Amino acid sequence: MKLSKGVAIVGVGMTRFHHKTHAEKTSREIFVEAALEAVDSVDNGIQLGDVEALFVGNFSSDAFEKQGHTAALMADWLGLTPKASTRIEDACASSGVALNMGVFAIASGAYDVVLVGGVEKMRGLGTEEVTDTLAMAADGLYEVGAGFTFPGLYAALATAHFDRYGSNWEQLASIAIKNHHNGALNPKAHFQSEIMDTAIRRGERRGMAFKDEIDFLSSSLNPVIAYPLRLFDCCPISDGAAVVLLASEEIARRFTDTPVYIKGIGQASDTMALHDRADLTMLRATRLAALEAYRMAGVEACDIDVADVHDCFTIAEVLATEDLGFFPEGEGGKAACEGRTALDGDVPVNPDGGLKAKGHPVGATGTAMAYEMYKQLRGEAGKRQVDDVKNGLSHNVGASGATAVVQIYGR
Amino acid sequence: MEGFTVKAFHDFLRENKIMGSRCKDCEGVNLPPRPVCPVCGGRDLEWVEIRGKGVVEAYTVITVPLTKMSNRCPYAVGVVKMDGGPSVSGLILGVTEGDDVSVGSRVVAEFVKEGDETVLCFRQT
Ligand SMILES: [Zn+2]
Repeated sequence: MKLSKGVAIVGVGMTRFHHKTHAEKTSREIFVEAALEAVDSVDNGIQLGDVEALFVGNFSSDAFEKQGHTAALMADWLGLTPKASTRIEDACASSGVALNMGVFAIASGAYDVVLVGGVEKMRGLGTEEVTDTLAMAADGLYEVGAGFTFPGLYAALATAHFDRYGSNWEQLASIAIKNHHNGALNPKAHFQSEIMDTAIRRGERRGMAFKDEIDFLSSSLNPVIAYPLRLFDCCPISDGAAVVLLASEEIARRFTDTPVYIKGIGQASDTMALHDRADLTMLRATRLAALEAYRMAGVEACDIDVADVHDCFTIAEVLATEDLGFFPEGEGGKAACEGRTALDGDVPVNPDGGLKAKGHPVGATGTAMAYEMYKQLRGEAGKRQVDDVKNGLSHNVGASGATAVVQIYGR
Repeated sequence: MEGFTVKAFHDFLRENKIMGSRCKDCEGVNLPPRPVCPVCGGRDLEWVEIRGKGVVEAYTVITVPLTKMSNRCPYAVGVVKMDGGPSVSGLILGVTEGDDVSVGSRVVAEFVKEGDETVLCFRQT
């Protein structure tokens, strides 16, 4: 795959991802907030009217808010009618795929400026209803019908990985600890507290004391959701939106002296049901999407300086860091345990806290990853800034890997 | 014979039969059945009965359930590789703790009646 012209990000915006902040708002207000922040972030200024088309990632405003036709709604509330607006639904990869579609729309020559965003307002429903809605992203008849929940599918992948490679839950816990640490440095994150601080706070309320994070994470205060995954192995249920503004390479420097180029993109699909896959210790779609993106960008896994990967569950970060080629098969958990994915490690992963701590309003996650890469490549990531970033990567997965999308960013 | 549909699969389950589709071109077997062979694209298919024994490839024990399952928590569900054939998802009955079963455990199919429906489940042997 080859693009006929280059595409750059010239502005980004996102709301905080949170379960309460947006309680009084609907997805249209959350999306507008992120879009206006993106417009205001453009160094040399941009007018909303410069936007020629919108691509909106959204998983299920239909089920969460009883509202369909999401993209036109966002165009309407931004005052962007009659510009073309298109909704993209690929489960949790919706806005990661929307980003690729935005890149295609510019690379085709059709447009010069495109707005790509993602939004999800999930907290209007209770936990069981959210569980039902998220399960719609799996094979409804043959997986959910058989009794699988969405966390259950990743839990099953974990048992297969543990069995083949001898990986273990303590390695997963180290990922949660790292991502909460990073989230504590990110003012947009859902959770902004170290796990040990949470352990002390929650322990005090119940007269319990914990000697370290693992002691807390192994306790009854961290209940099993789907064995072997516990509460702190799962991303929270959040509301939020994230928006990026794309421009063709010819005009990108009109808007900023430091655009961030999307140098490579890839996307792949796999069977909906886990039971139809030959190997349950990896996500094939991630591997194929990454291969395509690396080729287009002309880089290899070892050239990536920072990455946002799809850690909807801690095991998903293990799989991602292996499938993206950062670590050999079976060694993703060990690498995390050794601090190799920490902010000061060989390849910092999820400096923004990841889905785990930053939150995962499913349709907004892909563009929120692009937001983070834009900040990291421009050296604007504040306390969570990774040193000397030349190449960034984002990796967004739909459900249990039936969709995967990868982008590579450079200056 | 009717098409290789969801309904046909469920109708066979009511007769305590696990039926998949076999591609006459490449002999690939799919469970549940499909109208197109995902391996070779073949459309010349036949029904094949899958014997009800297999091995657990991956599993979980669920404690935060779907609403329809909330009355039976905790419960185990897994991916089972059927002997000599494809894999399928199903409940693993009699398991309420993660340590009660393992990847590699042998299981046998059990046809559980729920109202009009028959659900394909498994139990350790
Ligand atoms: Zn075939």
